[in-house]
Amino acid sequence: MKIGILSCDHMHAESYVESLKRIEKVEIAGIGEENEKRGKDFAQRHGIKYFKDYEDILSDKSVDAVVICSANAKHAKMTIDSARAKKHVIVEKPIATTIEDAQRMIDACRENKVKLMVSFPVRYAPPIKRMKEIIDDGKLGEIIGISATNHGTMPGGWFTDKALSGGGSIIDHTVHVVDILRWIFKSEVKEVYAKMGTLIHDIPVEDCAIISMKFENEVFATLDASWSRPKSFPTWGDVTFEIAGTKGSMNVDAFAQHGIMYSDDIEHSKYAYWGDDMDYLMLKDFVKCIEDDLREPVTGKDGLEALRVALMAYESVKKDKVIKV
Amino acid sequence: MLRVGIIGAGGIGTVHANCYKSIPNAKVIAVADIIPERSKKLASIFGADFYENADDVIKRKDIDVINICVPTYLHSEFVIKASNAKKHVLCEKPMALNYEDGIKMIEAASKNKVKFMIAHVLRFFPEYMKAREVINAGSVGLPKMVRTYRGGPNPAIVREWYGYHDKSGGSIQDSLIHDIDFLAWTFGPVKEVYARGNVFKRKEPFDPEYDLVMMEFENGVIAHLVSDWSGNQKTQFGAKIEIAGTKGLVEFNSFNIPLKLNLFEENKGKAESVSIPESPLSPDIEPYTREIREFLESVEKDSQIPVPAHDALYALKVALTCIESMRVNKPLEVKL
Ligand SMILES: NC(=O)c1ccc[n+]([C@@H]2O[C@H](COP(=O)([O-])OP(=O)(O)OC[C@H]3O[C@@H](n4cnc5c(N)ncnc54)[C@H](O)[C@@H]3O)[C@@H](O)[C@H]2O)c1
Repeated sequence: MKIGILSCDHMHAESYVESLKRIEKVEIAGIGEENEKRGKDFAQRHGIKYFKDYEDILSDKSVDAVVICSANAKHAKMTIDSARAKKHVIVEKPIATTIEDAQRMIDACRENKVKLMVSFPVRYAPPIKRMKEIIDDGKLGEIIGISATNHGTMPGGWFTDKALSGGGSIIDHTVHVVDILRWIFKSEVKEVYAKMGTLIHDIPVEDCAIISMKFENEVFATLDASWSRPKSFPTWGDVTFEIAGTKGSMNVDAFAQHGIMYSDDIEHSKYAYWGDDMDYLMLKDFVKCIEDDLREPVTGKDGLEALRVALMAYESVKKDKVIKV
Repeated sequence: MLRVGIIGAGGIGTVHANCYKSIPNAKVIAVADIIPERSKKLASIFGADFYENADDVIKRKDIDVINICVPTYLHSEFVIKASNAKKHVLCEKPMALNYEDGIKMIEAASKNKVKFMIAHVLRFFPEYMKAREVINAGSVGLPKMVRTYRGGPNPAIVREWYGYHDKSGGSIQDSLIHDIDFLAWTFGPVKEVYARGNVFKRKEPFDPEYDLVMMEFENGVIAHLVSDWSGNQKTQFGAKIEIAGTKGLVEFNSFNIPLKLNLFEENKGKAESVSIPESPLSPDIEPYTREIREFLESVEKDSQIPVPAHDALYALKVALTCIESMRVNKPLEVKL
């Protein structure tokens, strides 16, 4: 199977390409990146071919699928172009910056009979899978409420340019946790209230946000979607869940499998992560779903619904009220 | 030497009593509890007198200070009685079940010119004092995003009255009020709150309670507070605070403790492990001792008490607003 990378705007392209290399039978077609310097550096770093125009990857009949890692607002065009060229697509989250774009992407992939998967690797983290299993088994009884976090460091670059990103920390950090909760509860978010602000950094988008939501199944949850980790923090951020149920509670930290490293080079400590590589596990599943012609493990609709919650959060901030679907 | 009477010899009454052992300029001379074994047991530490009826302690002429450790629904009644008997009063938090009672308590104390303090002990916890020190030193820049956690076991399992909202106020009013007071003391007035939880869904007193509160302060700080009464008697109680600022972040987590003791107890024939977390401190900085000591100092010197009663009233107002926000499912401004 031949897979191309479209754009490396998003830093996850780095780990995706390394993960793809580890998957048997996968051949990497190259990287299509209009920024020549960045694209060539990326290609050289990973030992793959460079194309300035991603159309050159799409026009190659031997390419089966693409991994899209462009800035959020460019996902739609690249996905639709790829679908028309009959390439299966896995697109970085959030699926898009508007519901309309997301819907157009879903439609284009359906019409062209190609797979569309949205990159939600957290589903593949073994601690998160185990968390789902425990809830599915009813071990916690009925779930009452959940306090979740998806913190990060401020990524800078296009992430803070609303025209390219669609927003700041909310659009960047809401979708993972919402996807996990939708996946576990098989229930949609029906109410959202959010507070946000540009509190920490001098940037044109929000860097701090708390989102409170309620699902159709009456479970309530909050999410801290803030770029509030300083540069000196020992890791990039976190994905955590604190879950209260009628029969027990559970604390889950998706990245807790780490040691602590102290280095005089950086003069602060750093986590040394030793757990599974969730990007690799996700991409393996993407390849499998193409090979065996299975339904996408994470669908375009999953991406769209997670995006909807992020957009509801923005609307809630704008109106300072609880937004109901 | 100040002479002290303790009313309520339950959980926190026992904690307070033990503190007096290392406060040389005060002496506990009377203890009251409607359960005589409890008052007797506490009184025996000091060779103090013990009573079933609190009024017998309040009316004693030789008592200077009344320390009120009864369940929350009795706070206002006993504070007002003790004030009218011209006793200085240290009363457990939360101040009262409703705002009006809080005002009456303050009025009674000021009319009788006695010192009256609500025991917002979090202000004396060394890790919370350290958090303020770090903020004030500017090490994390301007504080901006705050997260707190408080809870673990449902206290109703040990003391049923906690499970009734008309007796304890529930987890927000009873427990989260610690964090509310600390945050308001540290960051100033609260602008708006929004809360979701299962306060209005719970039915039985032993049903778990779990509430999530969002708070925006007038100075722009945003906070997220967890109030957790969802555990059972084996769940470890704990508290956490994280403050992210423009230059850094500081976090404290009571689950990281210096001493974890595991004892194997015989329980109904099968061995069971009971883990007892301990964070030993000298009486100098042990928070309950320090709180009582500083209150007594302000009584002796007739100086400003360390936790002004109006601050406690304000924390109560914020807590009540959180519960109201949950009821109406709307963000609410905190209006006095
Ligand atoms: N600051 C803290 O960290 C902290 C911790 C626990 C409790 N508290 C507060 O302290 C108060 C007491 O809580 P607790 O856990 O000790 O409860 P508890 O039930 O263990 O103790 C209360 C005691 O008061 C006695 N009592 C009840 N009615 C009485 C009356 N009319 N006269 C005399 N005694 C009476 C009870 O018999 C009981 O022994 C509550 O308001 C609670 O919110 C504060």
